[in-house]
Amino acid sequence: MNVIDPRIHQALDGELASEAVPVELRRAVAQIAAAADLLAASPPGPAMSLESRVMAEIRRPAPSRAWRLIRWLVTPRAIILRVRPAWSVAFAAVVAALTLFTAGDEGPELAEHEGIAQFVGRFPEAQSVHVVGTFNDWRPGSIALEDQDHDGVWRATVVLPAGTYEYMFVVDGERWVPDHLAERLVADDFGRENSIVIVRPARR
Amino acid sequence: MKRWVVLALAAFLALPLAAQSVRGRLEGRIPSAAIPAVDSLIQFASQEGLPTDPLIQKALEGGAKHVPGPRIVAAVQVSLGQLRDARDLLVRAGDQPPVLPAEMTTVAWALRRGLAAPLVERVVAALARPPRAAAMHAVADLVAHRFDPDSAAQLIIEAVHDGVPRERLLEVSTAALQQVQRGHTRAEAFAIVRGQLPNLPASARPPRGNVAGARRLASPAPP
Repeated sequence: MNVIDPRIHQALDGELASEAVPVELRRAVAQIAAAADLLAASPPGPAMSLESRVMAEIRRPAPSRAWRLIRWLVTPRAIILRVRPAWSVAFAAVVAALTLFTAGDEGPELAEHEGIAQFVGRFPEAQSVHVVGTFNDWRPGSIALEDQDHDGVWRATVVLPAGTYEYMFVVDGERWVPDHLAERLVADDFGRENSIVIVRPARR
Repeated sequence: MKRWVVLALAAFLALPLAAQSVRGRLEGRIPSAAIPAVDSLIQFASQEGLPTDPLIQKALEGGAKHVPGPRIVAAVQVSLGQLRDARDLLVRAGDQPPVLPAEMTTVAWALRRGLAAPLVERVVAALARPPRAAAMHAVADLVAHRFDPDSAAQLIIEAVHDGVPRERLLEVSTAALQQVQRGHTRAEAFAIVRGQLPNLPASARPPRGNVAGARRLASPAPP
């Protein structure tokens, strides 16, 4: 612990004349006296009372709407959500049902070697349209086309191994019609023409 | 020696079983009067090592279309002739007998679709067995879209030699068709696609709506 020489105390208190202070202590006495003067001096500028500071804050111009909006958006807030357990269970059930429904709507998964064949034909007066070909052993009735909006355009989409197939439409179970929109027609050796569809492997 | 006896016995037992299964597929599907003749043609094909499924398919097609029996038999006979032509072509092109049934089916199908025999022979001679069927489909696809047959065959052969895998060969023809749709001539389309080989742009994923409603057959017959 540093012990201040008692003669420094006496000099600072005015009990000891500066000439009487030994030379080696005079510098320390001068420094301490200067520091005491600095502390005793008042801060620069006029001192503000509490009242004037509050009034200055009140008189400050209000921030713009945009600034307030930004502050509102970036300020973190606590949200308290009160939910009845019955409602949360119902919400979870709805989400699960929607997920299942959407998953079912995506259709079958396609393997690397598989592709999609779309069969479309316009038969306004038809009651039923089927597609028959080498992909289903020419078995009538196995792939029905649908006309869901009753505009006379019948459609079916089938997953098939990639390759080339011959086919025809069977309208109302008895009328065999080639698909004239097909990429190619080929003689069927029975005096008619089969349509040809090329199923390209689908990339997923 | 013992192995040969077992194989002969197995063949002896298998042939009647196969014949029975063929008759089973035909019964109720084609006029019963035509079944013996069709069956005997199928037996001939089997004995010659030719594929029998195309003949059965032709008979079933005739039956489904309510074609009279004699015409079904005639059509099956024509198909048998096409398969024999296909086998001869494959041997001429350098395949060692016995020729694979799948190869014969592919070549017969290509000839049936109007590809000239010399063109088919050229593709067969240029390519090894595995990519041949896919290559033939791609050439036939291009020819069906009025591309020059020789140039089409050349492009597909080059694609195979450049390393385009067989499952992507149809994408070569698709890419050429797309160039024509963009306004290029067929010759220009070939030149553009040739410049892209072997890195063809991947074919478009089928639209989600198309896949969504797609049905999968229980057991689709192979192409």
